This record gives sequence, C-alpha cells and structure tokens, in this order.
Amino acid sequence: MTDQLTPEAAAPARSAGVAETLFRFQSLFGLVAVFIAAIVFSPSRGGELLFLSSENLFNVVRAVSEIGIIAVGMTFVILIGGIDLSVGAVLGLAAVGSAVLLVENDYGVLPAVLLVLLAGLVFGLLQGIASALLGIQAFIVTLAGLQIARGLARIVSGGQGVAIAYGEGPGEAPVTFSLLGERTFNGLVPIPAVIFIVVAVLAIVFLRVSAFARHVYAIGGNEKAARLSGVPVVRVKVIVFGICGLLAALAGIIHAGQLNQGSPNDGSGYELDAIAAVVVGGTALSGGRGSVVGTVAGALLLGVLNNILALNNVDPNVQLLIKGLVIVAAAGLQRLRPS
Amino acid sequence: MDDGGGLLVEMLGIGKAYGGVQACSDVTFTVRAGEVHALLGENGAGKSTLMRILSGDVAADTGTVSLDGRPVRFSSPVDAQRAGIAMIHQELDLVPGLSVADNIFLGREPRTRLGTVDRRRAHRETRELLRRTGIALDPRRPVGELRTGEQQLVVIAKALSLEARVLIMDEPTSALSPVEVEQMFTVIAELRRAGTGIVYISHRMEEIGRIADRATVLRNGAVVAEFDPRAMTAAQAAEAMVGRSVQTLFRNRSAEAGDEVLRVVDLAVRRARPGRREPDGVSLTVRRGEVVGLGGLLGSGRTELLETLFGAGSRQWRGEILLDGQRVRPRSPRQALRLGMAFVPEDRRVAGLAVDHSVHANAVLSIVERLALLGVVRRSRETGAVRRIVRELAIKLGSIRDLVGTLSGGNQQKVVFGRALLSEPRLLLLDEPTRGVDIGAKSEIYQLLGKAAAEGIGVLLASSELAELVGVCDRVVVLRAGRVVRELDTHAVSEADLLAASMGAGIAAQAVEAENGELVDVAVRGDK
Repeated sequence: MTDQLTPEAAAPARSAGVAETLFRFQSLFGLVAVFIAAIVFSPSRGGELLFLSSENLFNVVRAVSEIGIIAVGMTFVILIGGIDLSVGAVLGLAAVGSAVLLVENDYGVLPAVLLVLLAGLVFGLLQGIASALLGIQAFIVTLAGLQIARGLARIVSGGQGVAIAYGEGPGEAPVTFSLLGERTFNGLVPIPAVIFIVVAVLAIVFLRVSAFARHVYAIGGNEKAARLSGVPVVRVKVIVFGICGLLAALAGIIHAGQLNQGSPNDGSGYELDAIAAVVVGGTALSGGRGSVVGTVAGALLLGVLNNILALNNVDPNVQLLIKGLVIVAAAGLQRLRPS
Repeated sequence: MDDGGGLLVEMLGIGKAYGGVQACSDVTFTVRAGEVHALLGENGAGKSTLMRILSGDVAADTGTVSLDGRPVRFSSPVDAQRAGIAMIHQELDLVPGLSVADNIFLGREPRTRLGTVDRRRAHRETRELLRRTGIALDPRRPVGELRTGEQQLVVIAKALSLEARVLIMDEPTSALSPVEVEQMFTVIAELRRAGTGIVYISHRMEEIGRIADRATVLRNGAVVAEFDPRAMTAAQAAEAMVGRSVQTLFRNRSAEAGDEVLRVVDLAVRRARPGRREPDGVSLTVRRGEVVGLGGLLGSGRTELLETLFGAGSRQWRGEILLDGQRVRPRSPRQALRLGMAFVPEDRRVAGLAVDHSVHANAVLSIVERLALLGVVRRSRETGAVRRIVRELAIKLGSIRDLVGTLSGGNQQKVVFGRALLSEPRLLLLDEPTRGVDIGAKSEIYQLLGKAAAEGIGVLLASSELAELVGVCDRVVVLRAGRVVRELDTHAVSEADLLAASMGAGIAAQAVEAENGELVDVAVRGDK
C-alpha cells in the first residue's frame, strides 16, 4: 500500500532516513571496516605495521588510480542506466597511442596527451551516438567498441608493446612524461594518485551542483519521464559516454607513464574492475541512484583488500575468490536497502 | 445476500503496521458466497493492505482470517490460491512476450503423457475461458500485442481458470472501454451465480451501485461505514471516504474564454507505427481559459494526438499546429516546453515520475536549467518553487525530500501536475489526469484545473471517464480512429450522447440494445 505521509507519519520517515544514509554511504563504512581489518592483519617489520606506512598507503592510492579514474566515468554511464564495456580497451589504445606519438612520432608531451584525450573523447561520443541516437543497447555498442579499440591498438602498435625511453634525441620521449611514473608530488604523493584525487573531487562537485547532473539522475530514474519533462536525453547520454571515454584515455596515459611502455593488451578486464568498484560503491546498475563518493570508496576498498592480501602473500587465486565474495556481499547489502 | 449465501471469509480484528504507520487497525471484513462486496476508500486507506493480507501477500500483526469457519494462515499468494483465494492486481501480472494461453496456464501448464506441454489442450481451454469472458482472441497471440483492456480481460480469464472461490478484483475496470466493462459485468454475474465471493475495489461509484450487494468504506485503516450500495449516493460515499463533505466534485465553470491559444489544422501523421492510432486529419481549437475535452474509446487516438502536439510522438506529420497564431513544429518535448506547452502523461509511474527520487527532484526537473546560474543549480530558488507548488496544490508529504514513491497516488499525480505548472505553460495537455486517483484528490485536481484555466491557461484534457469530460470540460472533441467525429458543447449534452458519439452508430445501437436486453440485466442484478 501507499503510505500517506501525514504529520504523524513523519517521525518514522525520519528514522528510515538514518537507515537510508547508512546504506547510501555503505561503501564508506565498508572501507573503514576493511581498513581496520587490514591494520589487524598487517604483517609488521621492526615493530612497524607495514600496511600503515605512508609509503604503502600511497601505493594503494597509486594502484587504484587507473581503475578509480575509469570507475568515475563508469559511474556517470551507470547513473543513466547504461554500461561501458569498452573502457579497458580504450585505456589500452590510449597507452599505445601515447607511446607511439611520443616515441615514434616525436610529439611533445602536451600535444600527445591532448591528442590522446581527444581521441578517447571522440570514441566515447561515437559510442554515445550509436547508443542514444540509433537506440542500440549500450551493452552491445560498447562490446563492439571494446573490439574496435583493441583492434585499433594492435594496428597502431603493430601488435607489439612500444617501450618508452626518455631523452632528448629522436625516438625518445621527453623526460616530463616520466613524471607519471617515478616522481611524486611533494616527495610523497605519487602523481597518478594526485590526478585521481583531482578527477574524483571535480566529479563529486559536478554531480552535486550542476543542472547537467540533475538530468543524468533523471534519465536513470525514469528516462521517459525525463524526456517528457524536457530533458535533452540524447544529448546528455552522448556527453556522458564522451566523459567516460575521455577518462578512460586519461587512465591510459597514466598507465603508459607508470609502466614506461604502451602495450595493445593493456587494460584487459579493467572494465570489470571498474564496474565492481561502482557496484561496491552502492550505485544501482539500473541507474538513477548512486554517487562518485561511493565509487571512490569502492575503488579504495578493493585496493586496500588487494594490498593487504598481497602483503600477507595470500595465493593470488584465493585473492580473486575473496574479491568476488566482497562484491556479492556489497550487492547483497544493497538489496536490504529500504526503498 | 440473505438467500443462503454462506460465510466464506471472515476477517476479524485485523491490524497491520508498516513502520509507524498503522495501515489497518481492528478491521472486520466478511465475504459471503455469491456476493459482490465492494471495498471503498481513498488511496492509503488500507484497502490494498487488507486485501494483501487476505491473498497471502503479507501477514497481519493481529487478528484472524477464517475460511469456511476454519482459521487459516497463508504464507504466500500461491498458498492462498490453493485454498481458493485469488487476486487480480491493478498492475497486470502478465508476461508480454508469452501467448495468451501460456500466460493463463503459466506455472501449471497441462502436460502430455511425455511430460511436454500440451498446447492443444491449453489452447482449447483458453478459447473456452475467453468465450466466457466475452472476447474473441487467438490464444496464440502474444499478450504484449493486446490493448490494455484486452489484457485486463485475459487476466480475468486467468482468474476464472483458477476456479477461485474468493476473487479479489482491484480496480478491474480502470483500463476498460464501456463495452468491455459490460462484458466484465457479465462475467461477474456468472461467477456470482456459481457461488463465488467477490471483493470489488473501485473508485467508480456508478459501477458499485450497479453490481455490488454490500459496500464497506475504509478510512485511515479502519472501517468507517457499511452501506447498501443501491441506496447510496455518490456524495454520501465520497463523504464517508474523505471524512468531510465533498461539496463540488467538478469544477465551477465561470471563466470567460479568451483568444485562441491552440489551433490544429488537419493534423495527420504520415506513417502510423504498428499498435498506434495516429491522428488522421484532426482539426481543433483551444482558447485561453478554456478546458477542452478529448473523448473517444480506448484506441481512438487521444494519447497519440497529445503526444504529437507535444513533440513526443511521430515527427512525420502534415497539417498545422498554431500556438497563439504562430505556426510551430515541436520536434521534441523539450522544444514543446520552450514553446509554452506542458504535458501530464497517462501513466505517472511509467512516464511521469522517477519514483525513487525525491519530490523535489521530480518537481523541478523541467525548470532546473532555467533556475540555474551558468549550469550550477540554485537550490534555494528550487526549494522555494517546490514549496510553493506543494502549498498551492496541497500535496500531502512529510518533507520535499521524501521519495515520490512513498506518496499516495493522488499526491504523486499532483507532483506531476505541479511540475507542469512550474514551467508556466500557456497550453496544458493532460492525459487521463485522474486515473487511479481517489475521489478526494480527484476533486482537488479538478479545482486546480479550473484555477489554471481561470488564470488564462488553455487546457486540453483526454479522458475515458465520461463523467469527467461532461463535468469538467467546456467542450468535448470526440475522436474515433484518429479523426474528429463530433464536437459537443458539454453544457447541453449527457454522458449517453458522448458515449454514442464515441462508439459510432453501429456499436451504439448494439449497446442500446444491450441496455434493454438481458445482457445488462444479468450483469446488473445477477440472478435475483
């Protein structure tokens, strides 16, 4: 039955609000829980917990930065009720593209980066057009996009990994690019982590305050109602896929910088890790409900989990198993959510 | 009925709370064999909860349910079905991709000796059930291809096949055309003759007066009245449901119509998509301050006409649409809104609202950009606008941050209405704005419509409720097969005239015949 919310009924509605908040930030609480578990199970060396060393903690952030950036874009796509399976392949294409432009074509860092970002943006926009304008399901469009991006990456690289050597001469990349890999900001924080944090903060603010974000949520909540309320559904969808492609390309550039090479198989399966982060973060796959805050927490949660399992030398196969169980548990918790 | 109808169901002292909301408290409700017991009440009065308890969907906190004098406790709807209690829900539970026969026998398909599905038998039995229901349909047709009214009758055929002893019908006629309603009444009469006890939930008072033997009214989860429906007036029933007297159900018409705001000239969609009855040469006008009704049977093209005007239907049309004398060609709802139109769609859950978003988010959606500064939303201005609408439309809620899905149907509809008004339209297009809305909210919506018209908005209102068209509109344009067949001044017509015009000469004659003949006799008062 439909509850009539009379003033008397307002009080229970408020207590339901507390439960709602708990569930909404479920991934943050989950993150805290996993963090505490990590401290408990952390191996120590010389009386110091390895997990809590600032070096290790920043490594966690560095390790999740690529998946995290992709997952931010994925959050937008999932919020409109879509999915983007192409992001891992786009990351690979961007990594290869960066390496080829820098090493084989002697581009400067800025032109190379901008060109690769533009390519990612266009790739995403095209997928958005195919999905929103032609009405093909996003799952299918981006499954095709995955194949296309992977194929392009192989063609561009000739099927081989392209190593990035640094120097002034021809065939060498400008040293600035190595910032992404070795250097740290402030001597401590790795550059990829800084980029991830900046992207996340921008996305969080954007989703909070922009009229565009209202349209994103409305489309995910009820696309037909959104359209009849004057939301430019096609335009919003195309832009959202564009954002996702752009962020996947950004992650690809970072990937190339961290590994000092671009290989056409880079990023395989990253799309699934990104989706996992979004889901653990409490965003509904059906769209319309969720947040980037949740996604960031979800990505960090999975990152901390990976880290503590690796620190304890847990068999990698068992690691996969544990990760799977955590994802199911997070999704299961969402089912309990009062609605 | 006192002619020996034994007590089938007895619900005593039923109580049920959801969170802190008492949905039912100390309700006593009985169903006798061979009677139609009408259950009335506003949305949120506890009707659905009571019936969900009876049909095994939820468990009561207190009280007992007895069937044939023995206490029962159902753990699921299937459990209740086995005991002979079936419910026909307002939301049709049909699988669109499956055929009529497959839907009717879903989960209990007849088997051959080899254990495969015996389709021949399923089809034969389906044809028989459909015959009893009064529609001719191919049992192999996918349900998704059927019109809503036909689907409703398929659900009723399914209920027949369950051979339930107690049948609960939740607003079974809300999607039916007048002819289909008559067919359903025939089925009900047949069931009653066979000794089935029927609980009939409806907002339509004239139906209850025709077919019910008893009527019970719930308000705020408690029984407030029991009536003899034959002796009850609509006003009395409404008063019992609402708890105060409903003075005027319909609006007061006093507004002077002004200049023409909409003129449609010979509008025709070039190629009709399958399953849609597109406008085929429609001309009409709406003036400022005027409420023009759009009548006609289901499938006559009312919705398609509104959608085409609003840029939400086919864009391949010829003819002219003039707004305030300007030729316009809305290519999307967005553009139509900019031109000063607003649309309240037919089914608020499907096309009107994001039910798990807040009232705030739903209400301001059309004006988010207009209130924003450089793409940044301005929450305080939004809140102001939403509060104003909540106040003006008297939307009952705890806070504007409540999820729309937690409001009653009438209040949800007001949120859709409020969103349309916030865009400050000069032309308001409404499609079945009071479907599934209780009588109190209905009356309020009519007053609001009147107020909007008085402020100079032109209103085009599509409805299948004749009383609504006659009571609310200044003029009614009647559509049939995508064409205007009549235009009637409602000051001088009756519902019967309107029905006759909707159905066309041939069918109208049949209906009149039925009205005099035994078909309706049987339907109206059964076997007495």
